[in-house]
Amino acid sequence: MFKNYFLVAVRTLRRNLGYTMLNVIGLALGITCSLLLYLVIRHELSYDTFHSKADRIYRINVDKLTANGPETNAGTPFPMLATIKASLPELSPATHLYNTEGGTFTVLSNNDKVPAKKFREEKNVLFVEPAFFDLFDFPTGSVNARQALKDVNTVLLTQSIADRYFPGENPVGKVLRMDNVVNLKVTGVIPDAPENTDLPYLMLIDYESSKKINTFMNDSWNSTNSNQQVYFAMSPGSSLKQAEDRLNQITSKYRRISPGEKERYIFQPLLQMHFDDEYGTLSSRTISKTTLWALGLIGMFLVLVASINFVNLATAQALRRSKEVGMRKVLGASKPQLMTQFLCETGLITLVALLLSVVFAELLLPFLNQLLELQISFSILHDPQMLLFLLAVLVAVTFFAGFYPALVISGFQPISALKSKVATARVAGLSLRRTLVVVQFTICQVLIICTIIVHNQMEYFRSASLGFDKEAIVNIPVPAGKAGDLMALRPQLESHSAVKATSFAIAPPSANIDMNSSFQYDDFSVDRNFSVNLKLADENYLKTFSIPLLAGRMYEKSDTMQEFVVNETFLQKVGVKDPQEAIGKKLLVNGGQNEGKIVGVVKDYHLSSLRNEIPPVVMSTMTQVYFYLNAKIEQKNAKAALAHLQNVWLTAYPDDVFHYEFFDDSIARFYEEEQRQAHLFKVFSFIAIVIGCLGLYGLVSFMVAQRTKEVGVRKVLGASSASIVGLFSADFVKLVLIAFVIAGPISYYFMDKWLQDFSYRINIGYWVFLAAGALTLLIALTTVSVQALRAAFSNPVRALKTE
Amino acid sequence: MLKTVNLQKKYTTDEVETTALVNVNLQVRQGEFVAIMGPSGCGKSTLLNIIGLLDNPTSGEFYFLDKEISKFSERQRANLRKEHLGFVFQSFNLIDELTVYENVELPLIYLKVGNAERKQRVEQVLEQMQIAHRRNHFPQQLSGGQQQRVAIARAVVSKPKLLLADEPTGNLDSAHGQEVMQLLSSLNEQGTTIVMVTHSPTDADYAHRIVNLFDGQIISENVKELAIL
Repeated sequence: MFKNYFLVAVRTLRRNLGYTMLNVIGLALGITCSLLLYLVIRHELSYDTFHSKADRIYRINVDKLTANGPETNAGTPFPMLATIKASLPELSPATHLYNTEGGTFTVLSNNDKVPAKKFREEKNVLFVEPAFFDLFDFPTGSVNARQALKDVNTVLLTQSIADRYFPGENPVGKVLRMDNVVNLKVTGVIPDAPENTDLPYLMLIDYESSKKINTFMNDSWNSTNSNQQVYFAMSPGSSLKQAEDRLNQITSKYRRISPGEKERYIFQPLLQMHFDDEYGTLSSRTISKTTLWALGLIGMFLVLVASINFVNLATAQALRRSKEVGMRKVLGASKPQLMTQFLCETGLITLVALLLSVVFAELLLPFLNQLLELQISFSILHDPQMLLFLLAVLVAVTFFAGFYPALVISGFQPISALKSKVATARVAGLSLRRTLVVVQFTICQVLIICTIIVHNQMEYFRSASLGFDKEAIVNIPVPAGKAGDLMALRPQLESHSAVKATSFAIAPPSANIDMNSSFQYDDFSVDRNFSVNLKLADENYLKTFSIPLLAGRMYEKSDTMQEFVVNETFLQKVGVKDPQEAIGKKLLVNGGQNEGKIVGVVKDYHLSSLRNEIPPVVMSTMTQVYFYLNAKIEQKNAKAALAHLQNVWLTAYPDDVFHYEFFDDSIARFYEEEQRQAHLFKVFSFIAIVIGCLGLYGLVSFMVAQRTKEVGVRKVLGASSASIVGLFSADFVKLVLIAFVIAGPISYYFMDKWLQDFSYRINIGYWVFLAAGALTLLIALTTVSVQALRAAFSNPVRALKTE
Repeated sequence: MLKTVNLQKKYTTDEVETTALVNVNLQVRQGEFVAIMGPSGCGKSTLLNIIGLLDNPTSGEFYFLDKEISKFSERQRANLRKEHLGFVFQSFNLIDELTVYENVELPLIYLKVGNAERKQRVEQVLEQMQIAHRRNHFPQQLSGGQQQRVAIARAVVSKPKLLLADEPTGNLDSAHGQEVMQLLSSLNEQGTTIVMVTHSPTDADYAHRIVNLFDGQIISENVKELAIL
């Protein structure tokens, strides 16, 4: 029996190759997308699930309520771990680690300590205790990692770092010098950290060594740093809430908090870190569950759109199959037998589409990886989960797409089927199919609208005036506390004609480095309930970044805080309307350590991404904390300028590695996640539209077939070709409009919510909706016209003869 | 074999009621060859469809193999059809996607006949219809006469008790038509009961009995002298 079904299916599909291709390609596109999205979602959900204790590991975060509003981070004071070990035995094993955001590594030769090679790492250098390996199950190969890091000044290299630093050599026993401060002995080479961890590392260094690198950190309860984190496993059966309360009781005894402020340490499950951008992760990758849901929905929608095509195309095809169905019924085929036959046919098409989509996915995965900066791979045969997913898709699509057509076709009355007189109204299931088309159009329009809005917001990020110049400026880090060495060489730095201006500062205007301070203004009598952002920079800062002054002047050159410049927001907050009024007023910052006069007011500029509001800013000088040299260079001579800057820089810091970043690039990185989402939206809405068009094309061909006689009669009676095209188009215009009415509010709701994340955002103009509606209409009409024109130009005599 | 008592068939649309058959009383005995004749629209095909269990009468009784079946469900009728009935149509109604062999095999598949027996029976009937040499051809590759021979082969391969033919020669030239009628006639001689709807007096001549239908009623029956009743 099945052999017969299969034979007929293959031959029918081969005969109606056009129809088969439409279906297969549409389905394959939809399934490919869902497959890729499945891979992405699965990857994101797999973060740190490979640790055997994963479900009971927690990180300690802190929620603070300060005068400036709530603050959250994952930093803990250094003595926290000892306290846990002494008083909270149920939190075991517990460990702390320190993550440094960068470092210079010098490969020393074993005997004479002569520097050989230097490397610069920007992230993922992790300082851990042996207990790290009791808690987490990272792959360590044949190395006994616990043992390897038990001594101070030891380091475990990952394979890729070992290959880079010591090509063709065995690094074990060799010495690596970090930041020209500490010598680390390589005690082993371990496999690279898994891709799916929020604790990524290039190398693991013994925790004690971090104290020499992180000199800002001390043993006090009052010093915290978001890179100093505590992790622990909760013993089974103990109460998380009670432990959390006890920890807070203990810490409150030691922590000094300003009156009016509150803080609470909370335990965050390891498995939730990846989905919570509030506390962040060391991988600095988080993805919200909402985004994952959205991606999952998009994947399902794409399959849905393709399945709808299938339903429409298959019912269209049904008319041509009526004779066969009639004859099979005459020969005694029962309705379930016929349904099985047609479901098998759908299954076959789906299977072909599925196999095709596996090939597509394989081909497209590298692009997706590049787009999302991931390294996902799949090998279908060794992946039972994936096979199960594909099987589920096969069954679901076969039933969803095949059931209705099978029901319709198998329900034909044999006599009428044989005479091809199947009541068209019966096959049409008109309202159902119209509904399906509306669903398709709605999905397409929602995706189009979202794409336009996300794109516009991205454009806004790119083009919005940030209040400073970001073009052709390079940010060059200088070793901590040593900015003075390079500042002494300033005449040399600026001697090259392509170097327009230089400024040393704690950071460029927009950066993820904040230094907050309480302050007192003017007569010092009023207690202000907010703190200010201290922007410490030299006297060339405003000139280099073209930040305009509203009143007064820039402060004079100085190594310490003498004079101040404030921004507009500061004036608003202290209630000063006229910038001139602030000039000459006294200011006290940094816990009362620094006093000086305000000499200038600058126009507001953005200090971080457009997600955040502009805070009140106080600018002043302090050479000690300048971490960056910012140089405005000539774009067309950038290469020469950089070479010159590097030369001078290396004169000042011969033991360090020169590196730089263009300022506009670092600003673009604020919006990486959004940029990725924008790309995804674009790709998937484009595919949804393509699939939708395929379906529409099939649907119109169905309608044309269904109304052949009507068209013939109309033409005999003198209808013009245009009016025939209009006849078919009118229906679809209606459907697009209905879809538009549904899609508008849905997309407005979601995009409005999305935009709320940004303090500075575009307004969703009505033109976005009109444009999306018009675009859909245009696409729909173009697709419809292709088929409608064919009907319109057909010979009416032939149309009438087919009856 | 079959008997109808006051058989009526009405088609009802929103406003119009059309009566296709009025009080038809017809009896067909085992081994008979009956031709139903009459002008277009007189109800011939409707009668044949009811006899062929493809349609239900509006009222009246219909006995098939001594069972009253006018109220049978679609599934029950489908079972009777595949076990006892064979159909031959004017337009052959072969399935284009299947070869000659596969078309003839199809009824046996629905009857769940085993593989070996199926093969043997199909081969046998193809030989009988002198179409075996075309077994791997598709319907469109055959002439009309050949197609109808395949259709007859398909109709008789399940050894039905009753063979229903709806204008079997309507789409054929006279030579092929005659060939087909001779085939039917010889099947009848071998014991198959045949009911045939036709326009053609020549074809009707092959029958033992001719039933004339007009406006849904039987107006006359001619029994041929040679009929073996």
